[in-house]
Amino acid sequence: MRVLIQLRPSPDVVAAVADPATATPAAADVAARLPGVALDEGYTPVALPRPVPTGRDADPLSMDQELDFSLAASDATVLVRGEISDRDFGARLSLLSSARSDVVGVFSDPVIETCPTCGGDPPVGDWRDVGHLLKVADLRAEGLDGDGVPLAVLDTGINAKHVTQVMGEQIKIDAKNSWNPTGVKGKPGEFKVDHGTMCAFDAMIAAPKASVIDIPLLRSQRRGGSALDGLLSDAVAAFAHLRTVLDALPQDSKRLVVSNSWGSFSPAWDFPVGQPGNYSDNAAHPFNVAVASLERAGADVLFAAGNCGRDCRDGRCAYPDRPIVGANSHPSVLSIGGVDVRNERVGYSSQGPGRLSRRKPDICAYTHFSGSKAFGDGEPDSGTSAACPVAAGVVAAIRTKWPVSKLSPAQLRTFIQRTADDRADAGFDFDYGFGILDVMGVLQALQRRAKRVS
Amino acid sequence: MSADEPTVLITVRLPRGARLRDAMDRLELDRDEVDVEYGLVPVDPDDGLYALRVTRAAAVRAGQRPDAEGPFADPRIEPFGPPEPREDD
Repeated sequence: MRVLIQLRPSPDVVAAVADPATATPAAADVAARLPGVALDEGYTPVALPRPVPTGRDADPLSMDQELDFSLAASDATVLVRGEISDRDFGARLSLLSSARSDVVGVFSDPVIETCPTCGGDPPVGDWRDVGHLLKVADLRAEGLDGDGVPLAVLDTGINAKHVTQVMGEQIKIDAKNSWNPTGVKGKPGEFKVDHGTMCAFDAMIAAPKASVIDIPLLRSQRRGGSALDGLLSDAVAAFAHLRTVLDALPQDSKRLVVSNSWGSFSPAWDFPVGQPGNYSDNAAHPFNVAVASLERAGADVLFAAGNCGRDCRDGRCAYPDRPIVGANSHPSVLSIGGVDVRNERVGYSSQGPGRLSRRKPDICAYTHFSGSKAFGDGEPDSGTSAACPVAAGVVAAIRTKWPVSKLSPAQLRTFIQRTADDRADAGFDFDYGFGILDVMGVLQALQRRAKRVS
Repeated sequence: MSADEPTVLITVRLPRGARLRDAMDRLELDRDEVDVEYGLVPVDPDDGLYALRVTRAAAVRAGQRPDAEGPFADPRIEPFGPPEPREDD
């Protein structure tokens, strides 16, 4: 168990620890050898003032009265840090106190953590902060702004007027290649302001000149669902449409970025795991095959990891464990978790392992910032729903000068994974994946590749 | 088929450029068993793999044929945001 040990060394040692003008003695010099304690020699000893009652005839043992705090060498004590084996912990504590008369007390030193950002919390930073963290100025200086890159947003439809108004930059809607699922009415870029508008806005932070393909997938009218949901079969059809878009592009400028901020929340809507028709755990499901096929043809496919993180998961999450399911966990896509602009994982960002591929999420990108105002003033662009298009925008920006003929989707994924800013455990972990998207790291890796190729 | 009827997916292997009529003939499906608006969707055109949205009964029947597979789940999908609080929060 990790412990804090309160000592009363000689007054000259206390004075040296307490005096900010002198170099603090090392823990080993203050504590010497403490029997049964593995002393943390990297921890600088801290002087602890003695509480002194201010009133005459006060109770010397009560903390519930007016107190002064004395750092005088004759009053103060010193804290050091260490670890005592959990085995026979009580006996070890008793022996320590009897062996060393200068040990005043031993206290637990529990792990403390910050509270993660959760759904319902106010925004953390704004979209300009995100642009700064994504090094958008450096991307633009390199001519990487998404110009001419098709970027498909499969969502609830986009309101182009709103995006343009809030961002102050004209969104380019590619009406010719936009597509509606069966029964969905509405024109590209003219849908009600909602989730899809947020996604388009967030993709434009890094790729303001991208040609946005509007696919209102989540406005399916079938089977009496809610206003904003759809069926996976509509996604199969949407991917088939995108394949025709991709195949029509000239070979030397082929590129297509596909941003998907949606998924399946409940196993109740699926066939049981193990049945041949199951979606969540089955790479042979038609949609998972369609994803692999589109990626193989040259598309960069990104999926949100989901909002079922253990700290504060979305109320709709119904998978008891491993909530990154189906295509969101596909080995041929980038699964995107969420961090706030302080580089801390948001509490709702789904953790791995994934169901089709264990090593998910791949990376994290920014979310929970003030951005599109699609849900009203003061409401953040949130969920891994926002993180996914933020990352998709970076991919689209890179594709401005890096078509598939120069860099395959698998190669680009590898660059993004290898250069990510590693967090938590060293290397891959199930909270952050390979780390937080590092645009400068990717750019430098691409520059090295360009030199090698030339 | 009614727009409210629950559906599932099946897949069938057909030559490139195949149409819905070809798939229905091959799998002996009636018009009222198939979502004709959805049509015949290429899943992996390089591999000649196509999908249809059909009634569950039709999927079970067609899935027994050697050139078809299914039924496959057609689950509901939803946007991942904004995160909705849990009821007990």
